[in-house]
Amino acid sequence: MDNFEKHIREHATEFDEHKADTAKLWENIAKELKTEEPKVIPLWKSPMIRIAASVVLLLGLAGYIGMSVLGMGNTETQYASKELLDIDMHYKGLVSYQVELVKNNPKLSDGDKTEFLSFMDELDEEYEQLRVEMRNNLDNERVLEAIISNYKQRIALIEQLLQQINESNIIKEDYGYTL
Amino acid sequence: MKTDIRFTHRDLVEKCKSGHPGSQYKLYSLYVDAMYNIGMRMLGNKEDTEDIVQDSFIDAFKNLSRFKYQSSFGAWLKRIVINKSINHLKTKRIPVVPMESHEYHLTEEVDEHVDVMDISKVKKGIAQLPTGYKQIINLYLIEGYDHIEIGEILDISTSTSKSQYHRAKKKLVELIQKL
Repeated sequence: MDNFEKHIREHATEFDEHKADTAKLWENIAKELKTEEPKVIPLWKSPMIRIAASVVLLLGLAGYIGMSVLGMGNTETQYASKELLDIDMHYKGLVSYQVELVKNNPKLSDGDKTEFLSFMDELDEEYEQLRVEMRNNLDNERVLEAIISNYKQRIALIEQLLQQINESNIIKEDYGYTL
Repeated sequence: MKTDIRFTHRDLVEKCKSGHPGSQYKLYSLYVDAMYNIGMRMLGNKEDTEDIVQDSFIDAFKNLSRFKYQSSFGAWLKRIVINKSINHLKTKRIPVVPMESHEYHLTEEVDEHVDVMDISKVKKGIAQLPTGYKQIINLYLIEGYDHIEIGEILDISTSTSKSQYHRAKKKLVELIQKL
């Protein structure tokens, strides 16, 4: 390699004269990535969600097993209701704690908070209906599954919010690039 | 302790592999201008460059699982942009290598007494080169590929790459001297 070649290679960055229309290009890229690849929410990525989901699962299983065992006796409805009460106690505490965290989080915009809380309200309504169903003892197993699903949706919602907070916290550690 | 260049932005790449949208945008932001400039040098116009850069990022994100750190992410992405650019030129029947005979070899070195070190003059000289010459000069001098890699990119032998490059360089120096 002669001096001419060395000189140009050493000054190769000076040949980068153009600026891309970043927003326009990304819009098209994001559109394409969204349509082609449905995104899977990585529910198990956050340790907090793992713990919360484990609690949900344990309580759900406990409730289910409890109801199955007790279902053999004559006091089926009463015990099933008791299990539901236990689950209620745990979940109400957990969810209300999370809701408070969200309400008081300074990193979230008011819009995000409102959206989150309105989703939570919808899930609350659904939950109340499920409780009525449970009391009526129409189909305990299916209703319990629906209740667990309701809880999972709440946790997914919290997870989304945590993700947003994490994104806003990304430190600019990766500045620059290497070709 | 020096980090292996191949692992530049590894955390970000791994997050992208898991489909994290925030990380995809961050990685895109780091490389888009560099890729855009490569495209502009290869293709010479904004519209084609935008299409190629967009397609390259989409392909890169969709096939990121195949990226195994055998090179840096930037080098991998750059190769995608260059391959797509060359294919694009071929479909438009624009010559990617000079039309003259491939057997002609040049060995003389550049006359360094002439002011060929002025980067702005080099830029002007490259802009005046015929398309085939321009590609090989860009690939060798600015993008930093060796003749084996250029042979793969342009689908020519290593010796052809060398002879064409020397021919192109001679032409470039002539053009710069006239400026």
